Amino acid sequence: MTPKSNFLQKHSLIIVVYSLVFVLITVGSIYSERFLTLRNLTNVLRQAAYLGTAALGEMLVILTAGIDLSIGSLVKLSVLVSAILMDGNPDNVMMAVGLTLALGLGVGLLHAFLINELNLSPFVVTFASLFILQGISLTITTKPIGRSSKDFLLLYSQKFLEVPIIVYFFGLVTLLVAFLLNMTVFGKHVYAVGGNLTVAELSGIPVKKIRYGVYGICSLLAAVTGLLWLMRMGVGDPVIGKELELNAIIAVVIGGTSLFGGRGTVTGVIGGVLLLTFTDNLLGTWSKSICERVGQGLNFCCCCRSL
Amino acid sequence: MKDDQLILEMNNISKSFSGVKALDDVSIRCKKGSVHALVGENGAGKSTLIKILSGAQRPDKGTICFKGKNYESFSTREALSVGISVIYQELALVSEMSVVENIFLGREIRRTVGIIDSARMRQEANRLLEQMGIKINVNREVGELSVAYQQMVEISKALSRNADLIVMDEPSAILAGHELEQLFRIIQSLKDNGVTIIYISHRLEEVFRIADEVTVLKDGQHVVTRSMEGLSRAELVSAMVGRKLEEVFPQSLNKAGECVLEAHGISTDTILQKVNLKLHRGEIVGLAGMVGSGRTELARALFGADKLTSGEIKLMGERVEFSSPADAIRKKISLVPEDRKQQGLFTALPIKNNITLPILKKVSRWFLLNRKMESSLVESSKKQLSISMASEHLDVQFLSGGNQQKVVLAKWLHTKPEVIIMDEPTRGVDVGAKFEIYQLMRRLTEEGIAILMISSELPEILGLSDRILVMSEGRIVVELEHAEASEEKIIEYATMGESKAA
Repeated sequence: MTPKSNFLQKHSLIIVVYSLVFVLITVGSIYSERFLTLRNLTNVLRQAAYLGTAALGEMLVILTAGIDLSIGSLVKLSVLVSAILMDGNPDNVMMAVGLTLALGLGVGLLHAFLINELNLSPFVVTFASLFILQGISLTITTKPIGRSSKDFLLLYSQKFLEVPIIVYFFGLVTLLVAFLLNMTVFGKHVYAVGGNLTVAELSGIPVKKIRYGVYGICSLLAAVTGLLWLMRMGVGDPVIGKELELNAIIAVVIGGTSLFGGRGTVTGVIGGVLLLTFTDNLLGTWSKSICERVGQGLNFCCCCRSL
Repeated sequence: MKDDQLILEMNNISKSFSGVKALDDVSIRCKKGSVHALVGENGAGKSTLIKILSGAQRPDKGTICFKGKNYESFSTREALSVGISVIYQELALVSEMSVVENIFLGREIRRTVGIIDSARMRQEANRLLEQMGIKINVNREVGELSVAYQQMVEISKALSRNADLIVMDEPSAILAGHELEQLFRIIQSLKDNGVTIIYISHRLEEVFRIADEVTVLKDGQHVVTRSMEGLSRAELVSAMVGRKLEEVFPQSLNKAGECVLEAHGISTDTILQKVNLKLHRGEIVGLAGMVGSGRTELARALFGADKLTSGEIKLMGERVEFSSPADAIRKKISLVPEDRKQQGLFTALPIKNNITLPILKKVSRWFLLNRKMESSLVESSKKQLSISMASEHLDVQFLSGGNQQKVVLAKWLHTKPEVIIMDEPTRGVDVGAKFEIYQLMRRLTEEGIAILMISSELPEILGLSDRILVMSEGRIVVELEHAEASEEKIIEYATMGESKAA
């Protein structure tokens, strides 16, 4: 096998995903002249930050052959908690952000604890967590609650060199995750745990610690996503986060990450996120729900087929 | 003086699993820089001994002395850090990761806290591979390499840990001939560098070839440890199985009866071309030939798994047409497939369910299973085939290769077959269980069953078959009687090209 064909084969899915993104951009620019403007494109990227931040966390978990089904519910809870804590008071921002992040990290570590120590499957633990977190949110409120402080809300629309700062933030998160996976011992161990658990154990890899790491980061990033939503909405809206985990998992998987663990790249996941976000952006004006669902379903099938 | 020479002493090791003694007062001593073979049937306790050595299990009793230091037991990490590496048959590699990542897995070279130094790791990996005289691109994914190379990556991994003792658990089971030579060369160079090797293998030729000393275990007990010098093959085998070599192949006592299965000029879409074949009651017919000569295809055709494009099959003189294996099973033909884990068993299901699967109708009434009946059938199989199992509820995956094969056989025997086609019946089965399977095959033929046995092991073909058919390029090129067959003849015909055969 020549190195080139090997390269193509290995990265075929990523190439497909990015080609589809390109097709969507082409179609979009024909369909509407407002599509291919800096304003719209940066807008889409800002949207992508919401799904992307959560998806990168989900990716880490999936790389270890785990799954986190609770991130949508956690995003919802994070929005409510941060909005209530902030309550429109600029003095509360740091406290609210800190506590929300702590909440996220705590939930993730609890997931890992249950998986590690009680030997429960990630599916069971995080599925239960999905309902529990949702239940807590619904107990707190069913209507919008709390308020963001003004400065915090402004962060959403703030731009640097014409580009929303949220996009820079997302870029930073992406680079951090890529660095973590490719340059650190932790990253290599994440791949090893997902690739072959027995081998990882026999090689003396601290498997439990790795799980605390990935579930912790995943939930932490979900809390971050919650905060991003508060920036956008200005209030704690309990509608936020619905089925986010499904979109995140779809993005991760169509980006070429194996649901069986051990295989996947940040580049691919970002491709998956962009594909979903562009689809969403283009279909936004149409009868959204039906087309989007069908589109996502097809995307998912096609990409999984070529795995 | 003597202590200097010994690198490892395991003294009076005992270990039980839920009351069953896996190891009973076993001791083993290895000299530094030697190759020490560990042989014994499956279930003899080899793997338990190795697991204790690698720290995967703790002994109930006994001590380990490694490099002059005494240990009660190890943790896996400790074992690795004192210099003991085990290369398991199921290689401990992550196939999605690169060669270099695998070699340093768990001990990555770090630049600073938590950040890996890929350049140095690559350099070091290249050095190790060069030292063994092999060239692999260290950035390649391990999953893309052949098993032989994967094994070498494992060995480099052990070397990178500065292992003084490398245990190789059936390393040859996954290697082809020339790859084996390379392994032997590497073992020799390891030996020259003072590394001690414990070599576990079923294949006695290899043991004679590379081992300096051998320890034989049987039923969890130590039988003998001695130098290979002056040891004969027969002595070693009888130490292993506790019986003499001549007794291994039970001879046929009865004459072949009437013809049960007959094939006339059958061809299929695969490579099978105009094959004629007759099987009589009470005989074992050996089907020899190279891999790819059409042996498995013939079995599939007879079993209704492949469609015939020409020719006909007669069962008891009556023409039959099988459109699927289900038809063949109904007509009392059974196939014991080559790969029992993939094609013959549900490894994650209990023994009982595996055995009664084809006869669920028989053991049920009004769609309800009669558990008593099921259990009594399993019990009778257990006796008939002497399957050693703790309970019928045990998953098949926990049985040894020999016992798994017996379960496959038990399953088919309950369908009361007239013809059994066995594809590699003793692959991956230890010497003792092989003997039992041979005996069983003989017993079955005495009951009037006809057996067609496909095997790549010539001694098996020669020892057991009443008649031998040799295949080459989809045809049967010759039929040999038991008396006139020899290894040379079979190989000569099996490697014969189409031109000569036609």
